[in-house]
Amino acid sequence: MCFKNLPIEFDTQGNATLKEGVADPYGYKTTSLGEEQDKLKELLARNGFIKNVDFDPVTRVAGALAFHSVVDLKKKKVLSTNSMATLFSGYEIILKGRDPRDAAYISSRACGVCGGVHATVSALAMEMALGIKPPPLGIIIRNLLLSLEYLYDHPLILFLLGGPDYSEQLVGETNPRLLEKAKKTATKFEPFHGYKTIGDIMHDLNPLTGKLYVEGLHMTRVAREAYVLIGGKYPHPQSVVPGGIAATVTLSVMNEMYMRLQQFFDYSKKVVGIWDDIFDFFLEANPDYAKCGSRPATMADTGVWDRPDVYDASYENMDKWGKARWATPGILVDGEVVTTNLQLLNAGYEEFVAHSFYEEWNGHQFRTDPAGNPLSPNHPWNKETIPKPGKQSWRDRYTWDTTPTWDRMPMEAGAYARLYMTAKAQEMPDSKFIRATGNSLEIHVPKAALPGCTLEWKVPKVWNAFERNRGRAYCIPYSAMVAMENWMMAMELLRQGETKVSTKFEIPKKGRQLGVGFWGAGRGFLSHHLVIENGAIANYQIGTPSTFNAAPRTPWGDPGPYEEAVLNTPLLEDFKSEDDYKGIDILRAIRSFDPCMPCTTHIMMEGNDTVITREVTTCACGVE
Amino acid sequence: MSRVLIGTVGYHNLRDYSLGPKLLPKLTAMDWPPSVVIEEMNWGPIAIVQNLESLPEPYDRIIFVSSRACGRLAGSITLRRWVGGLPPDKDLQDRISEAVTGVISIDNLLIVGEHFKVWPREVFLVDVEPGREEMGEAFTPEVEAAIPEVLRMVESLAANDVSSLDGLVEMRGDNIDEQTKSVRPDG
Repeated sequence: MCFKNLPIEFDTQGNATLKEGVADPYGYKTTSLGEEQDKLKELLARNGFIKNVDFDPVTRVAGALAFHSVVDLKKKKVLSTNSMATLFSGYEIILKGRDPRDAAYISSRACGVCGGVHATVSALAMEMALGIKPPPLGIIIRNLLLSLEYLYDHPLILFLLGGPDYSEQLVGETNPRLLEKAKKTATKFEPFHGYKTIGDIMHDLNPLTGKLYVEGLHMTRVAREAYVLIGGKYPHPQSVVPGGIAATVTLSVMNEMYMRLQQFFDYSKKVVGIWDDIFDFFLEANPDYAKCGSRPATMADTGVWDRPDVYDASYENMDKWGKARWATPGILVDGEVVTTNLQLLNAGYEEFVAHSFYEEWNGHQFRTDPAGNPLSPNHPWNKETIPKPGKQSWRDRYTWDTTPTWDRMPMEAGAYARLYMTAKAQEMPDSKFIRATGNSLEIHVPKAALPGCTLEWKVPKVWNAFERNRGRAYCIPYSAMVAMENWMMAMELLRQGETKVSTKFEIPKKGRQLGVGFWGAGRGFLSHHLVIENGAIANYQIGTPSTFNAAPRTPWGDPGPYEEAVLNTPLLEDFKSEDDYKGIDILRAIRSFDPCMPCTTHIMMEGNDTVITREVTTCACGVE
Repeated sequence: MSRVLIGTVGYHNLRDYSLGPKLLPKLTAMDWPPSVVIEEMNWGPIAIVQNLESLPEPYDRIIFVSSRACGRLAGSITLRRWVGGLPPDKDLQDRISEAVTGVISIDNLLIVGEHFKVWPREVFLVDVEPGREEMGEAFTPEVEAAIPEVLRMVESLAANDVSSLDGLVEMRGDNIDEQTKSVRPDG
């Protein structure tokens, strides 16, 4: 019984149905945020040490994110938070009515970092809708490309976007005593990374000039080069198509790819050693850091990397092929696995707009999924995107993001969720390089210049900003070794003379088809829900990791993941006055999610060609 | 013979704002000596930096073509010479963050390239003031009318000694916003 809040029960055969006798099974009560805001207003007026602290924009993140908080500078705690997506992402509207074959190319533009995975998820949705099963080599190459995309993405956050928060420069500005201690603290993993003290690592994490910053940039190039050998170009590949890939795979291309992939073997060991050292140091130096960005390990993950012998694109077998993935899909609630069934993950998925600049929609076209599981009117297949720009108000609507939930709970998404789920669920089939133990994930990384070793990511006791980034660091060897396993499988197929990488398909001119693509972006959970009617896209709904993480309150008042994580963050920064306060702990908490707000989105206004590129509701001054 | 790169910069499908990529086919179709390379340079400043770093032989001159909103009359053309300089570190970091997360911007490209020291001594920009930001393929009449002159300027820049060029405006990275009153792209 995985649902606690939605009125869904299971019969003896395990079939899900709505509970009988519930008058309004998907009804909910909307909680007013006004009372909380009135209290805050009073506190702000009465106490000079309680302040509004706004980050607009939050820098070193992808796209447009703003964050509002009310902090008590005396007690050093956060009293209230609001996360704001400040741009409207209108791909759902752009895609409506188009030829489904355009979907992968257009939806790929939703992100300038992870365009490859958007194209892939779109292809998966098409494959399900039209019953297209790619050939084994097509599936394997897709796995490889997506692994390389992660190997491009993770160094970006670890060393360019989030990494500077732990650099000598930033730690020196915000916690000078901690920096002095770091300079005197020996590292534990010098054989992997070569640094003698934590201070030495922090020095090389400095933005622009630090060796680790520059090396991170370089490694993104290595991964991108490997990707484009087959993918052709990045971030918006034309070669990812429904039914497989549109490219020629040869032994020489595979060898060129391997030359780049193997550079990540030693880099994996180094990155894991660096972040284990940095985060262990912070947590040992001041145990209160464990509260920074903390929230329950309540996460959703789609799973990634399909097995070529199991994946058939069907909704009917989605549970089977989902569980066969190298990363197990599912839901974690407070660190415990609730389900690994992709159909149930889909059935419990809803999206709300009570605090977003959208209108509620009517209608409940799809009451069940193709397998008969009940679906809410708030499910993406039933959702309509109806923009409603308006006045920003903490009492009412304040963001262009929506509130996705699973079983009515806000869910966190991230690369680390695939690590966590896979380790805990122990459903991953046998792998040459990876083993789930139930409380850890062992990753065997071969010898390169450094000796071979087993890196073990352990399920942390507390889920916080540091553990998010630590998990992300372990996702580098995880991705590299899944890539290696798939590279070996591809070579074996090529040796057998197998070169087919795609399956032809036709778009039916009549009838209705449903599909959903589930696959993790570099930042975690990504879904594309597709409805095709009479040969054209009738509905297209994209759910990104930052849709989950940057979500505003639920209609019933639960904070979104950024909001909750920052609420739980103590202000550990050294500051003497308000003017001196920089907000590093809050920023560490937010950046630990690797925010990626779909950026540079342009949509047409109805009735003319005017383009909205920025909704001018971002300034929090005067907002109530 | 000097090696010359002509690079077009800008988003697609944004009418005047897509001047760079829209001019690429016209530029490619022109007659050029073998020493001139035409490339679409929309693939992000960091990727461009890494590409230029990897060249066995660097270019002697780079000419960028782009639209650039600076508050002029739509269709106005400015020929600029990049003379270097960098903004404060925090601004530079933000521009690198934008670069790695997919923002396409000629200003960011020039600044990021300057930081990584990839520019040859001669870097030029031919930019045109766009009209209203709209979705679509067609240019406004003002920008359409400017295209022959843009192509002529690029051709002339690629072929000639530039020391005698009239109307060259210096462009610096340390006060890029104030100097040109440019509007930074969204991202």
